[in-house]
Amino acid sequence: MATYDVLFSALGLEKWCASSESSAPMSMQDLLTKNRGGDAEPESLWDAPFPSMDALNEACGAFPQSRELTKGLEQGFLSIKDSLSIVLDPITQPLSWLLDGTLYGMLNTPWWIVIPLLLLVVFAVTRSWKLVGFVAICLVLLAFIDYYEYAMQTLSIIFVCAFLCVLIGVPIGIAMSRSDMLQRLTIPVLDMLQTLPPFVYLIPLIFLFSVTESKLYGIAIILYAIVPVIRLTNLGIRLVDKDVIEAADAFGMTSRQKLYRVQIPLALPNIMAGVNQTIMMSLAMVVIASLVSAPGLGVLVLRGIRNLELGVGLVAGLGIVILAVVLDRVTKASLARINASQKQ
Amino acid sequence: MARDIKISIRNLYKVFGTDPLGAMEHVKAGMGKAELLEKYNHVLGLQDINVDIREGEITVIMGLSGSGKSTLIRHLNRLIEPTSGEIEVDGENVLAFNETRLRQLRRERMSMVFQKFALLPHKTVLENAGMALAVRGFTIKDFETEANKWLNRVGLEGNANQYPHQLSGGMQQRVGIARALASNSPIMLMDEAFSALDPLIRSDMQDLLLELQDELQKTVVFITHDLDEALKLADNLVILKDGYIVQQGEPQNILLNPNDPYIINFISDINRARVLRVRSVMTRTSEPPTDCAGDISERDNLESVIALSGGDTEHTYRVMKKGAQVGVLDMKELIRALVPTEAHTDSERGQL
Repeated sequence: MATYDVLFSALGLEKWCASSESSAPMSMQDLLTKNRGGDAEPESLWDAPFPSMDALNEACGAFPQSRELTKGLEQGFLSIKDSLSIVLDPITQPLSWLLDGTLYGMLNTPWWIVIPLLLLVVFAVTRSWKLVGFVAICLVLLAFIDYYEYAMQTLSIIFVCAFLCVLIGVPIGIAMSRSDMLQRLTIPVLDMLQTLPPFVYLIPLIFLFSVTESKLYGIAIILYAIVPVIRLTNLGIRLVDKDVIEAADAFGMTSRQKLYRVQIPLALPNIMAGVNQTIMMSLAMVVIASLVSAPGLGVLVLRGIRNLELGVGLVAGLGIVILAVVLDRVTKASLARINASQKQ
Repeated sequence: MARDIKISIRNLYKVFGTDPLGAMEHVKAGMGKAELLEKYNHVLGLQDINVDIREGEITVIMGLSGSGKSTLIRHLNRLIEPTSGEIEVDGENVLAFNETRLRQLRRERMSMVFQKFALLPHKTVLENAGMALAVRGFTIKDFETEANKWLNRVGLEGNANQYPHQLSGGMQQRVGIARALASNSPIMLMDEAFSALDPLIRSDMQDLLLELQDELQKTVVFITHDLDEALKLADNLVILKDGYIVQQGEPQNILLNPNDPYIINFISDINRARVLRVRSVMTRTSEPPTDCAGDISERDNLESVIALSGGDTEHTYRVMKKGAQVGVLDMKELIRALVPTEAHTDSERGQL
């Protein structure tokens, strides 16, 4: 005798209830009650449970239990998984190649080429010898304690993912800035991507792709890190001085000329701030992605946790901090250079 | 002085709101601005504007903020679309233009100078000056000489490779003017171009504009909220209030014959001696005066005549235009003209 029997008999649904027993597996709790023998005493109103799916199932066997919801979701996903993979696999395959190629290239080029090359890039974007010196010290330090290979793996993944984030994110941001409708549709998706715990969207990805493929973590990182670059591109273009846009119109610019000669250059400080955020977020994600076979410093952190190797975990963690500081300083310095060149 | 009409605005209305055309019906039926706002929540920006802008003249549109003057000037190159009415440039209906022709109009026949300069902050002064030409597809090599020529003309030699933020406000606006001039368009729209500048620089810029105008004879439409500026620059003055034209015509004429309390109020505290010219207060006659104290030009302002007379009200002057006498000016008449007009029926004014 369950609390909500009355409800179903009042609605005249007893027949439907009796017709089919729930196919859901029996829960541990049910099993225990059964073994203890006999139903519980009829409860007072005070103890009435919330009419949840489980409580209603107790009164009527045909009513689905709540765990059938999660089970249904899982089965639904599994049933479309194969056809989804057929579509997604070829589309995302280049990502695997790109990641594998970059990793291969970075690791198989001798260190005495890679390090100077990185420093050259730093100088090209920041024009600051001080920063070049700082980056040199950091890289040499990491190499000296034999973390060079891991650090380079992490860096290659970040480069590839951040590059793709910009490549995909900036056009999306531009499209959003031009259409209020698109902005209204996109913002909830971005909010969701940003707030969903990163572990959660690893789960469906694991089902879709094989864990040995590098695109699995590539997609996870891109999904997580693309949000700021989209947001800030949209914001940056929307914030471009209305007077300058009006002047561009008044002198007869086409919308393409306006985009390339006015909007993007003036939004560049904001776009670069987005790129900085994107790089920092890919660094955060690349550590978590080591759970799904992403190589790099994250693997060492994971090893530290799994094997309780305190030293390895801590040093790898510090290595990540050093990389984070380096990436942040370099992108901020190039951002400052852009800002300086277009004060109002 | 009868020049060709360059731009003609006919029965122009602009209603802001969610359903401007629907609200327009009420306006046509005679509803006023306040009622429209209250009943239908639509703002009547411009009502029944009729202006002829003549070639080679400076037409000044003056009004306080909210009078619709910036809205009006933006209709000329269709940065704002009118709700109803006609705009003709060189006899062509601008409102019928498709996108390509409109762009061509903006590129080749109209240029604009803005209150907040609106220069491209990431481009050099030279590139900014050549913006109109760059938009037409010229490269910097093509327009360098032309842009430099105009930069020099507005007094910015040697600043070509600086960035706008390195210049003062006045210099930035000079770049804005050079940009408009370099487009080589016959029409120049100036939206409160000097309002953001301090008084001394503003006066400099006004002189620069008048000097350029003497030389280039462009058709200038100038927006301002400053009466002194309007009187200094205008060949033709249009006074706007709450979206309609209160009075338009030659500035001297408006000053001496204001037809609205609003304008009387407006002109009551300006320096009339500096603004009024001899031709507006003299008695037209070709007979030489009996005791002539000297010759003055019809274009002199009253201030200079007072200085010439040394404050003596007994003198009478012969007014000359191109070497011939066109009138006579009695100092007593001059002094009377300095008293601000109080009302339409002012008896003093009847004698002028």
